[in-house]
Amino acid sequence: MTTNKESRPSVTPPLSLAGLCAGFDDPVQQSQQVFRRALTALSEPGTLQTVPVSDTPTGINTASYQLCLALLDAETPLWIAPPLRTDALVSALRFHCGCRIVDTPGLAEFALTLPDFDGDLTRFAQGSHEYPDRSTTLIVQVESLESAGDWTLSGPGIEGVRKVRIAGLDPRWPGMLADNRRRFPCGVDLLFTAGTGLMGLPRTTRVEV
Amino acid sequence: MTTASLKQTTDTQAENGYNFAYLDEQTKRMIRRCLLKAVAVPGYQVPFGGREMPLPYGWGTGGMQVTATVIGENDVLKVIDQGADDTTNAVSIRRFFARTAGVATTESTPEASVIQTRHRIPETPLTRGQILVYQVPIPEPLRFIEPRETETRKMHALQEYGVMHVKLYEDIARFGHIATTYAYPVKVNGHYVMDPSPIPKFDNPKMHGSPALQLFGAGREKRIYAIPPFTRVESLDFEDHPFEIQGWDQTCEFCGSDHSFLDEVVTDDEGGRIFICSDTDYCNQRLNTGASMEVV
Ligand SMILES: [Zn+2]
Repeated sequence: MTTNKESRPSVTPPLSLAGLCAGFDDPVQQSQQVFRRALTALSEPGTLQTVPVSDTPTGINTASYQLCLALLDAETPLWIAPPLRTDALVSALRFHCGCRIVDTPGLAEFALTLPDFDGDLTRFAQGSHEYPDRSTTLIVQVESLESAGDWTLSGPGIEGVRKVRIAGLDPRWPGMLADNRRRFPCGVDLLFTAGTGLMGLPRTTRVEV
Repeated sequence: MTTASLKQTTDTQAENGYNFAYLDEQTKRMIRRCLLKAVAVPGYQVPFGGREMPLPYGWGTGGMQVTATVIGENDVLKVIDQGADDTTNAVSIRRFFARTAGVATTESTPEASVIQTRHRIPETPLTRGQILVYQVPIPEPLRFIEPRETETRKMHALQEYGVMHVKLYEDIARFGHIATTYAYPVKVNGHYVMDPSPIPKFDNPKMHGSPALQLFGAGREKRIYAIPPFTRVESLDFEDHPFEIQGWDQTCEFCGSDHSFLDEVVTDDEGGRIFICSDTDYCNQRLNTGASMEVV
C-alpha cells in the first residue's frame, strides 16, 4: 500500500505534531463509508446524508473534514477560503492527506469554503466541453441543512421534485446555481455541509426558489 | 503437512497480504473521485488511471475495479453473468470479493446492495439504495465511426450524434427494421449518447428512471460512467421506426414466465429445444413462489 509519506510534497513548512487533529481510526473502512455518502449525496441530490461524530480541527465542521480525509491525497490540489485556512486545518490535511494547498481556486480539484466567498462560481475550474470532469468540487460549509423547505430541486437523481432548505446562503446563490446548471456539461459540483450533515447539488440539479 | 493444509496456509497468507477488496487505497480514492464526477455528468465517460486488476480483461476488470471501489464490509454482493449467478465467471468474481473484502454474497436480487453484471439487468425491479455495476468491453459508442479519442470527445461535446442514427437507419434500409439487438445506444438525460454495454435491448427500458444507481466500468479503455437514479434514458429511434424490445412466442419451460428474457437451449441431438429465463434467480423465485402457493 502506498503511504502518505511517499506522496507528500517534498517542500513543506515544518509540521508540528503537537495538537494535531486525528484522522480516521480505520482509514480503509471509514474512507469507504464517507465516500458512499458523498456518492449518494451527488447521485440523489438534496437527500440529507450524515457522517459519524469525530474529532475535527477548529473552524471546520465534521462532514467537511471527513470528506477531505476520504477523498483528498497528493493528487488533489485543494483551495481553502481564507477564513477557514487555519494552521490546525492545514497541518491536519497535510499530515493525513498529503494534499497540496493552492492559492488559485481555478487550479483546485477540491475547494473548501464558506458560502460568502469573493466572486462567483466561475472562479473555480469549470472543466472543458471535452473533459467536463476536470472541474472543481466545492465543499461549502453552511449553517444547517434540512430535507424539507423552500427550495424545490429537480433533475437526475430526483423522482419528481425534492424540497430542501440550505441555511446561510447569501442571495447570490440561486442565480449562481442557475448559471452553473446552464453551463452543462461544464460546471462545478457542490457538497454542502453542516455539522455531521451532507447534501449534494451536482451541476445537473435545477433549483427553484 | 498435507497438500490441503499447505494450500490453506498459503491462502491465508495471501489474504493477509491483500488490501481490502484487493485495490490499494490510492487507486480507490482516484476511482472514487471519478465516480463522483461520473454521477454529476450522467452518461459522460470519465477517464481514470491507476493500477490494473490481476485478471485478464475478459473477466470484466473495469466492473471489478468499480465494485472494489464502492464496496464496504456491510454490503451484500450479487454477481451475474448473462443473467446467471452460477457461471464460472460469476462464481469466481463473487469468491474474489468474499475473500478480499469479506463481504456477504447472495444470489437474490432483492437482498443485494451491490450487483455486478455482465450482459443483463435483473428481471426483478431494482430498488433505491441498490448499485448496479456493469462490466463494459467497449465504452465509446462512436468508436465504430471514429477511432480517434480527440474526435469522439468533440462529437460528444457538440452532440454530433447523426452518425448513430445513420447506422441504425442503414439497418432499416437493409432489413426493414433496426437489427441492433445488443449494446443498443441510449441518450442519457437528453445529452450524452452512451453504450449500455452488451445487454440485450430488451433491458434498455429498465435503465430509464431506475431507482438504483447504475455504474459502468471499462477496464481496457479505463473509463467510468454513470446513470444516477431516476434519470431519463432513451433508446435512439425514429418517428416511423420506434424503439421496440424483443419478444417471444414461447414461455419459460421452468416457471412459465411470458415476460422475461428467454434463452434458447438445445436439449437433445434431434434438435429439440426449450426456452428458459436467462435470469436464474428470477426464475427460481417464481418457481419457489409457485411451489409455496401449491402447498397452501
Ligand atoms: Zn423462468
